[in-house]
Amino acid sequence: MEHEDPRNGESSHRSSKKPKISSKFILESEIRDEFSHHQPRVARINNGSFGSCPGSVLAAQRQWQLRFLRQPDTFYFNTLRNGIIASRKILKDFINADHVDEVSLVDNATTAAAIVLQQIGRSFAEGKFQKNDTVLMLHCAFQAVKKSIQAYVSRAGGSVIEVRLPFPVNSEEEIISEFKKSIEKGKSNLRKIRLAIIDHITSMPSVVIPVKELVRICRAEGIEQVFVDAAHAIGSVKVDVKEVGADFYVSNLHKWFFCPPSVAFLYCKKSNISSDVHHPVVSHEYGNGLPIESSWIGTRDYSSQLVVPAVLEFVNLFEGGIDGIMKRNHDEVVKMGNMLAESWGTNLGSPPEMCAAMIMVGLPSRLSLNNEDDAARLRSHLRDCYEVEVPIFYQVSKDGEEGVRDKDGFITGYVRISHQVYNTLEDYEKLRDAINRLVEDGKTCKMLCIE
Amino acid sequence: MASSLHSQTHTNTMNGTSASAADPQSHISKKPRLHSPPQPLLITPSDILSEFSHHDPSIARINNGSFGCCPSSVLSAQQQLQLQWLQQPDDFYFNQLQSRILQSRNIIKDMINADHVDEVSIVDNATTAAAIVLQQIPWGFAEGRFHPGDAAVMLHCAYGAVKKSVEAYVTRAGGYVLEVPLPFPVNSLDEIVKDFRKALERGKQKGRRVRLAVIDHVTSMPSVVIPVKELVRICREEGVDQVFVDAAHGIGCVDVDMKQIGADFYTSNLHKWFFCPPSVAFLYCRRSTNNSDLHHPVVSHEYGNGLAIESAWIGTRDYSAQLVVPKVLEFINRFEGGIDGIKKRNHEAIVEMGEMLVKAWGTHLGCPPEMCSSMVMVGLASCLGISSDQDALKLRTYLRDKFGVEVPIYYRAPKDGEVGPVTGYARISYQVYNKVDDYYKFRDAINQLVHNAFTCASLPN
Repeated sequence: MEHEDPRNGESSHRSSKKPKISSKFILESEIRDEFSHHQPRVARINNGSFGSCPGSVLAAQRQWQLRFLRQPDTFYFNTLRNGIIASRKILKDFINADHVDEVSLVDNATTAAAIVLQQIGRSFAEGKFQKNDTVLMLHCAFQAVKKSIQAYVSRAGGSVIEVRLPFPVNSEEEIISEFKKSIEKGKSNLRKIRLAIIDHITSMPSVVIPVKELVRICRAEGIEQVFVDAAHAIGSVKVDVKEVGADFYVSNLHKWFFCPPSVAFLYCKKSNISSDVHHPVVSHEYGNGLPIESSWIGTRDYSSQLVVPAVLEFVNLFEGGIDGIMKRNHDEVVKMGNMLAESWGTNLGSPPEMCAAMIMVGLPSRLSLNNEDDAARLRSHLRDCYEVEVPIFYQVSKDGEEGVRDKDGFITGYVRISHQVYNTLEDYEKLRDAINRLVEDGKTCKMLCIE
Repeated sequence: MASSLHSQTHTNTMNGTSASAADPQSHISKKPRLHSPPQPLLITPSDILSEFSHHDPSIARINNGSFGCCPSSVLSAQQQLQLQWLQQPDDFYFNQLQSRILQSRNIIKDMINADHVDEVSIVDNATTAAAIVLQQIPWGFAEGRFHPGDAAVMLHCAYGAVKKSVEAYVTRAGGYVLEVPLPFPVNSLDEIVKDFRKALERGKQKGRRVRLAVIDHVTSMPSVVIPVKELVRICREEGVDQVFVDAAHGIGCVDVDMKQIGADFYTSNLHKWFFCPPSVAFLYCRRSTNNSDLHHPVVSHEYGNGLAIESAWIGTRDYSAQLVVPKVLEFINRFEGGIDGIKKRNHEAIVEMGEMLVKAWGTHLGCPPEMCSSMVMVGLASCLGISSDQDALKLRTYLRDKFGVEVPIYYRAPKDGEVGPVTGYARISYQVYNKVDDYYKFRDAINQLVHNAFTCASLPN
C-alpha cells in the first residue's frame, strides 16, 4: 500500500489508523494478529501435535462454510468439486507429483494409514498374500498406525517387523544401518515383506529420517510397497514425492501448513496397487478412484480442504514463502534447543541436520522421569502450573546399553519443542525457567501435583 | 435472542402458538433475571427468521431432506467450541473433548430410548455408519464364519452410497446381495410388509443364510416411511442374523425408539432434521454377543476400546459438530412440544402443502399421509416429459437456476401396461423455517412450465 500524500489531509478510510508503512513481507505485529486467537499466556511450543491456523485462513474457511449453509444444494452441485480440485492441483505442484490423479485429500494421516492398510488386509483375505507375509514398521511409529496394522494386518494373518532405531541418534548412518539390519533379519526367516511403513519425521521421539535412502533400500530388497507416513512433513521439510520414491506418501496440512483442522493429502503413485485403494467410507463415487471417492464421503464440512489457496496466499506473505518459513523455524528451534540443553546441562536428541522444526531436548536427570506416567504428570504440571505446553517423551533404556548422562544421572526424559512463526523467545525461556525451578526445588516427577 | 424482560404475544402460525400469560415479575424488575428458573418462552416467528437468516432468501428451500439445516444459535455455539480448540488444542484434547462427546452421547441415548450409553457412538454421517456395520461382513468371510453365497438383503431403493458400500463390503467378499423391490407409489403399509416378506422368503430359497438386512426407516428417493418395526420382526422370524436400520432421516423426522424398533444397528443423521451443523450422526449398536466386534475404519490408538470410544478419536479433526447437541436441545425446547411438536407440525404442514400442489397440478401424492413424515413425494405433470434420471436432474437444475426453487426430483420408470403414468415426483420437505410461499413458488413454477408446453427434452445436456 502506498503512502497517502499528507498534503491531501487525512484519508477518510484511514481515519484513526497510522498509515501503513509499505512492506513486502508480513510484519511481526501482523503475525501476532494472525494468531491472536491463541491463548496469550500459554507458551505454545507444541505446534507438532495439533498445528496452527492463522486468522486470515480461518476467515476464508468461514466463508466456505457460510456458502454451504446458505444454499447447500448449489454448493454441492456447483462449487465443492471444483474447490477440491483446485486444492489438489496446488498440492500436486507443491509435492512434485506427476498427475493430480495421484493426489487425494483425506482428513488426516490416520485416515490415510487406514486406507493403505485396508488394501493390505484385502490382499490377505483374497489370497494374494500368504499367512505370515510381513509388514515392516518403525518401533516408534505413531500409535494410531501401529493399531491400524494390528486391525488390518495382524488380524488378517500377517506378521509385523518392528525396526528399533537408536535414540538419541548421532547420524543418518546409524538409522540406515539399523534399518538394513532389520530387513535382513526379517528376510532371513524367509518371510516376504509386502509393505514397509516409514516415518519421514518420527513423532516421539522426533527425528528426521533419511527416507529417500530407506526407500531405496526397500526397493533393493524387493519390498513391494512402501508407505511414507510424513504426518509432519509438509511445511516442515521439503516434500518431493518423486525423489522420495514411495508408493504412498501422506502429510497433514493442518500441522505445519497452516490449514484448519483437519486435512491431509495422500499421494498414491500410479500403479496397479493405486487403483485398488479405496476410502473406507463408501459413497456413490466408489470405484471412481481414490481422489474422487475421498472428495465425497457423505454430507460433512469439507471447508478445511478448500482453503489451500488461502494458505498459499498466507505463506507468500513471508520472506522466502514456505521455504523461508521452514528455514527460519529450523534455525530457531535448533537455537532454542541448544539454549535449553545448555541451561539444563543436558543434550539434544539428534544433530541439527536431523531435525526440522522440532527437536528433542534432554531433561535433567534429577527430575527422575522413570515411566510414561511420570512423563504425563510432568506435561500436565507444566501446563497447569507454568502455562507451558510441551510434550514429554520417556526414553526406555535398552538392556545393556549405556544411556546418555548429565552430571547427576541418566537422562530418561526429553521435551519435544516446536517452532512455528508465532513462537517467541519468551516461550522457550518460560520452559527453561520452569524446569530449572523444579530442579532447584528438588522436585521429581512423582511429586508433582496436577489439577 | 429476543429480550426476556417483556411479555410476548405470539400469533398463530404454522410453527408458533399463543404464549401463556406474561410473567408478572418481568414488569417489576428491570434487571435481567439470570438466576431464576427459565420461563418457557416460546420461539417466535421472527426468532425463527433470525435463526435461519443465513439461508439464501431468494431460494424456496424445500429440500431440507438432503442437507438439513442449522440455526444460527447452534452455529454460534459451534464456533465457540472451534475457538476453544484453536486457542489451546492440547488442553481441549486432554480436558474437554472426551467429556463433551460423552455428554452428547448421553443426550442421544435418552432421546432414542437406548439402554446404555455404550450403545451410542457418534460418527460423521449415516454413510460412515453403514461402512462400519458392513465392514463386519468381509471379516466374517475371511475368518470362516460366513460361507460363499451367504447373503445381505437391502431395499431396491436403498441410498446410493449404501448400495455401493454393500458392493464394496459384501459382494467383493463373496456375499450374495438380495434387493427387495418395494412398490411406488404406495397405498398402504401392508403392501410394503407383504412385498418384503415375499422377497425375504424367496431369497432364502436354496438354504441361503441371510447375515444382514439393511432397511431404511425413511427411504430417500422415493421417500416413504417404512414400517421398520414390522420388517425387523419379519427378519427375526426368518432367521436373519443382524438387522441394520438406515434412518438417515430418522431423528427429528419420525419416532426413534431403539427398544421398540428392535434392530441390532440403527443410524440417523443429526444434521438433517435435528438442527446440528454438518456433520454428525449416531450409530446405535444393541449390546449383544452378536455384534461386539464393530470398529471404526479409521483406526486410532483407541482401537479395541469399543466403537464409541474409537469413534470419539479418529485423529486430529474438528469434532465441534458432535459437541453442540446440548445447545440443539435448548433450541428444540424453545418450540412448543419440543422435538415432538416440531415433528407433528412439520408433518401436518407437508401433507397440507403436498395436497395443495397435487390439487393445483392434477397429480397425486406418492404415498398416503400416514406413510410420510416431514417429506412427501408429489407427482409432477406427465406433460413435462420426465423420462430418465438425467431428465430429473436437469429439471431440478432448471428449477433452481430459473425459478429459485430447490427441490429434488425422482424419476419413476413406467411399469408394463401403465397408461400415461406420472414419471416424475418432487420430494418436498417441510422444516420450521419454511413458509407457504415456498410451495406457492414451486406450484407456480410448474404451472408456468406446463403453460409454456415445456418438456425436459428441450433442456441441454
